[in-house]
Amino acid sequence: MLSPKRIKYRKRMRGRMRGDANRGNKISYGDFGLMALEHKWITNRQIEAARVAITRHIKRGGKVWIRIFPDIPYTKKPAETRMGKGKGNPEAWVAAVYPGTVMFEVAGVAQDLVESAMKLAASKLPIKTKIIIRRDYEAQDD
Amino acid sequence: MENKTLEVKVRDEKGKSASRALRREGMIPSIIYGHREPVSVSVSAREFNSKFKIISESIIIDLNLGKETYHCIVKDYQENAMRGTITHIDFYEIEKGKSLKTHVPVHVEGAPLGVKTGGIFETALHELEIECLPKDLPEMITVNVSSLEIGQSIHVADLKDMPGIKFLTPKDALVCAVVRKKEVKESGEGDSGEAVVSSSVQSEE
Repeated sequence: MLSPKRIKYRKRMRGRMRGDANRGNKISYGDFGLMALEHKWITNRQIEAARVAITRHIKRGGKVWIRIFPDIPYTKKPAETRMGKGKGNPEAWVAAVYPGTVMFEVAGVAQDLVESAMKLAASKLPIKTKIIIRRDYEAQDD
Repeated sequence: MENKTLEVKVRDEKGKSASRALRREGMIPSIIYGHREPVSVSVSAREFNSKFKIISESIIIDLNLGKETYHCIVKDYQENAMRGTITHIDFYEIEKGKSLKTHVPVHVEGAPLGVKTGGIFETALHELEIECLPKDLPEMITVNVSSLEIGQSIHVADLKDMPGIKFLTPKDALVCAVVRKKEVKESGEGDSGEAVVSSSVQSEE
């Protein structure tokens, strides 16, 4: 699963997510993309589940790009613990996703197959998404 | 290549609120610049979208502004990533007889042989940077990939020389290739970062 190799600080403040994605909001590598329509933390497990759903569905044809990286550690207190006594333990890694972020890209596969693969991937994610297509994609096929 | 035409209007009021009002009316705020004084204009979004499905720097557009005509290319544009609507266009006025540096889309032609035998076709470059006179400007650069087998690729140096066109993209840049299917490992086990988190959880409990 995706996670940073090295980190400076083990625990981080949560911050606040406002506004839309200003970067990573266009298709850069592939022909199709899965765009987030909501703010959310996406965990590395969710990213991996979505990636596996895409690669299995397209039967390992084509190429898949993951455009988000879970570099934020999040903490959780153990169950049945009283409040206080400091911040909880690091639990997993998350990527902060804003509306407009292109999370996955695919190339080299037919459109109908990509659409069904992206639908499966979207069902693994906790946010609303939409499938986007490169502006000049259809023209290349003509 | 025939030039496409667009009707544009001068826009007097500038700024955020005036531009938003224009967009509500179905217009796209735009600017024309180049070798003459820049002019702020607006274009009908419906007309622009119907005529230009693909927005490329390689299409010369005749902009009719009253009695005057500007020969332009779309140098840049801004779009709302969520809605997919265009919010602003930069038209760059070209000068006849003066060479022009621009980006031209790559059009892939044919089905590669390697794909039929189980390879994956990958396009690495969707656009090429070229320098040419406006009269020589091609709408797209066609690359025939039908003879490509697994492991073969096309670089910029392999492209046919076109009269009056100089490729500015590095010659060794990969345009497209047919690669072998990779065996993808299912679920990354033993990732170092994951181990760091889990070990820290154990140590603190």
